[in-house]
Amino acid sequence: MKKSVLSAMVVLLLLGVAAYAAFFVAPTDAKQGVIYRILFLHVASAWTGLTSFFICFIANLLYVLRRQPRWDWLGVSAGETGLVFTTVVLLTGPIWAHPVWGIWWTWDARLTSTFVLWLLYVSYLLLRTLVEEPDRRALLSALFGIFAFIDVPLVFGSIRWWRTQHPQPIIMGAPGSGLDPTMYKVLFFTWLAMLGLMTLLLRQRYRLEAMRGDLEIIQRELEAA
Amino acid sequence: MALHSNTAVLLGKELRTEFRSRELLTTTTVFVLIVIVLFSFSFDPTSEESRRFGAGLLWLAFLFAASLMLQPCFLREQSNDTLSALRLSVSDPFAIFLAKLVANTLFLLLTELLLLPVFAVMYNVSVLPMLHWLVLVFFLGSLGVSITGTALSAISAQARMRELLLPLLLLPLLTPILVASTEVTAALFDRSPYVQWKGVGFLAVFDLAFLTILWLLGEYLLEE
Amino acid sequence: MKNLNSVFAAYMVGWTVFFVYYISVSRRTAALREEIERLKNSLTRGK
Repeated sequence: MKKSVLSAMVVLLLLGVAAYAAFFVAPTDAKQGVIYRILFLHVASAWTGLTSFFICFIANLLYVLRRQPRWDWLGVSAGETGLVFTTVVLLTGPIWAHPVWGIWWTWDARLTSTFVLWLLYVSYLLLRTLVEEPDRRALLSALFGIFAFIDVPLVFGSIRWWRTQHPQPIIMGAPGSGLDPTMYKVLFFTWLAMLGLMTLLLRQRYRLEAMRGDLEIIQRELEAA
Repeated sequence: MALHSNTAVLLGKELRTEFRSRELLTTTTVFVLIVIVLFSFSFDPTSEESRRFGAGLLWLAFLFAASLMLQPCFLREQSNDTLSALRLSVSDPFAIFLAKLVANTLFLLLTELLLLPVFAVMYNVSVLPMLHWLVLVFFLGSLGVSITGTALSAISAQARMRELLLPLLLLPLLTPILVASTEVTAALFDRSPYVQWKGVGFLAVFDLAFLTILWLLGEYLLEE
Repeated sequence: MKNLNSVFAAYMVGWTVFFVYYISVSRRTAALREEIERLKNSLTRGK
């Protein structure tokens, strides 16, 4: 127990430092003023969410090929964790957009793609609740997870190519707008802190799933008795 | 080659089954018609805007229809356990998928082409000069819908709430098809129509990518 | 400086989401642990 408390403290510390850096170390943006600082949380969450979904994808592949329950446990944990980070992206986007543009939502390419990404992994989790038998559930969700992840670059690509023709507010600046080097450092540091948080949440969720696996074994023993 | 002959035989079975009763085709066609009409109530379909929105609405209607039409694909193999019989009859499980997805693409394409003149009249869009290009984008889009829909139908058939599950799984996955197909079709409906080759290429890439994945994962989708 | 409120709001929202998720998983874990203990007891009692 002690080790997990220690790692939780480390992660919290890193997040605290990252937040401090986001507010005080990063210089003020000439065009947007203070509001751009949401970027650190927003973008780092997006990157972390995608990292988590990538872990989910690898776990899905490994389950299909090896059929060991631990890959299923990792898959659902990484899928759920990724969804949490993606939710933060979708919530912080409008909080940024409203003071700047006066509107809550904009069909900006990245926000739209993130929304579809969110829907895909909600479907992934929903599928799991609709299959009762554990091995079947693991296999079917792993297969869908693979389809979903392959779709991700196609979603982002198609929306970026064809949904940014129309003039519309672009969250966090257009692709190509540069960031001050200090800003990059703060962003990168925030991302590292978020990866720490991701690992923490992942491990916690994995333990829960592993316990469920144990429970199923005990239940089967009880039925046999 | 075994895959070709297996697929041909199974495809024959799929087509014969459907053309005997034609229930899939008729219900799907009527459904798309209903959606097109309903859409027209949400805005003024004779205005200049309908030209721009028309392509999107058409593809939305196609996607909704497909997500319903693809449900029986593997569901009907559950009664009398015909799926096991199918699996035993072929050396390569991919043949089962190939036959089904070719059949589904054909059914979708037929429905779309049947409804194109109706849409053209109701939304005041000229389709004849670009007809062959429209057939191409309808084909590529429908192929993508079929490939993913057939695969996901195999998944949803094994879960609860399968009628609601297939659209739930399929529609977010098909966003790229909706975006690309709409763009290419809208360009073809334009006053000075042109072929958006970027979109056509993108659709081809989508189709190839998912066909490859289906080929690699097919046998797992059919596991007992 | 009113935009600073929005920045704070965003960070609060973010941390709340993470915190709520963390608590939710903790609760589910505790409940599951209880369930396992209960079942283990009924197993040993049964034997």
